[in-house]
Amino acid sequence: MSDDQPVHACDEFSDELAELALGILTGRRRAATLAHVESCPRCTEELEQLVRAADAVVQVAPEMEPPMGFEVRLFGRMGVAEAPKRRRVAPRWMLATAAAVVALGFGLGIGLTMGTAPSHHPAVSIARPPGGKLVAVADLRENGKRVGRVFTYGGTTPWMFMTLDDSSAKGHVTCEVVTTAGATDRVGAFTAKSGYGAWGAPLPVAPQDVRTAEVVSSGGTVIATATLT
Amino acid sequence: MGELHVADSGPTDEALLAGMAVGDHAAAVTFVRRYQRRVFGLAYSMTSDSGVAEEVAQEAMIRVWRHAPVFDARRGSVTSWVLTITRNLTIDALRMRRAVPTDPDDFAASAMMSMEHNPEDAILRGDVRQVVRVALSGLPPEQRRAVVLAAVYGRTALEVSEEEGIPLGTAKTRIRSGLIRLRAAVEDVRAVEEER
Repeated sequence: MSDDQPVHACDEFSDELAELALGILTGRRRAATLAHVESCPRCTEELEQLVRAADAVVQVAPEMEPPMGFEVRLFGRMGVAEAPKRRRVAPRWMLATAAAVVALGFGLGIGLTMGTAPSHHPAVSIARPPGGKLVAVADLRENGKRVGRVFTYGGTTPWMFMTLDDSSAKGHVTCEVVTTAGATDRVGAFTAKSGYGAWGAPLPVAPQDVRTAEVVSSGGTVIATATLT
Repeated sequence: MGELHVADSGPTDEALLAGMAVGDHAAAVTFVRRYQRRVFGLAYSMTSDSGVAEEVAQEAMIRVWRHAPVFDARRGSVTSWVLTITRNLTIDALRMRRAVPTDPDDFAASAMMSMEHNPEDAILRGDVRQVVRVALSGLPPEQRRAVVLAAVYGRTALEVSEEEGIPLGTAKTRIRSGLIRLRAAVEDVRAVEEER
């Protein structure tokens, strides 16, 4: 607040500052708030901070791989010539994980499938693993059909990674683990996009104690199960 | 858990935009590859429609390419500029198609899916995105919905009150209270950065 601005003048615009920062304030209130802000250093600073917060909300959306051919179509429209071809490769940590899987002797054919979903099913951005040693890997099955894979890792922060491919899971689903002692623990919730998705989260139990991992619908139905021990 | 960050060695965003402003194709290619996942991710998170999201993402990139000469770094970051363009185009696309946007709860859930569980680490790294995800997850659900509706979908307080079936004053309070809590998280990151 500037010296010539009474406190109540700022109070009057407290709600409007947030709306102004969000770009949703209109009409006379917008004009009045702007006029006040111009004459009040305190509200100017507060507005700047609120704008940064508002901008940050838009930035929280997860990264997603665009459909195949996106670049070609885009560069064509932009008139950008001779765009170098880029191989779509798995991130380094995924390659390392896949290598580790093979190295640990879990068998041929085990690997991660990021970016292999059909073009109309964008691959979900994958959370970065905190590291740790692979403890178990198992197919995720829905009515006997393999619809994904589950990996559990040990270390200081035990965690789990799951892929879903062509499952019936849609929208909000939760992942639960059932321990060898019979207890059920919720690992987290995620959104399956038309049956596809990939995600990771810390495990609330020791990976060695996980008997099964389940994908559960919002209605409580078990959609798919992986048996890890 | 943190979202995967591919190390981007090379020119800064501002340098790439400067190159694009003078028609440098290599700068445009690098810029597109640096931002396409964020642009598409935002559009998809708002629409849950891959086709619409691709159209929006392409249009956003074309606008960045065309308007690179008028980018003003004093008014905000490149990331903020690009994603605001994307957000506005997505809102327009939803409106033109009279399409149902992704529910704010689903939008927030998809963001929080990539959330890190050690906000202190994110603060120390200066990772605003992660810090805000954590802060967003800590908001009461009704405040989170109101903030997402306003900040992402551009809903006015009146529209939030109508869509949520709550008094206008309550909608305003939810928007303001939620944004103020997010502001605290963002300013924590800035304070650490300024100490460096």
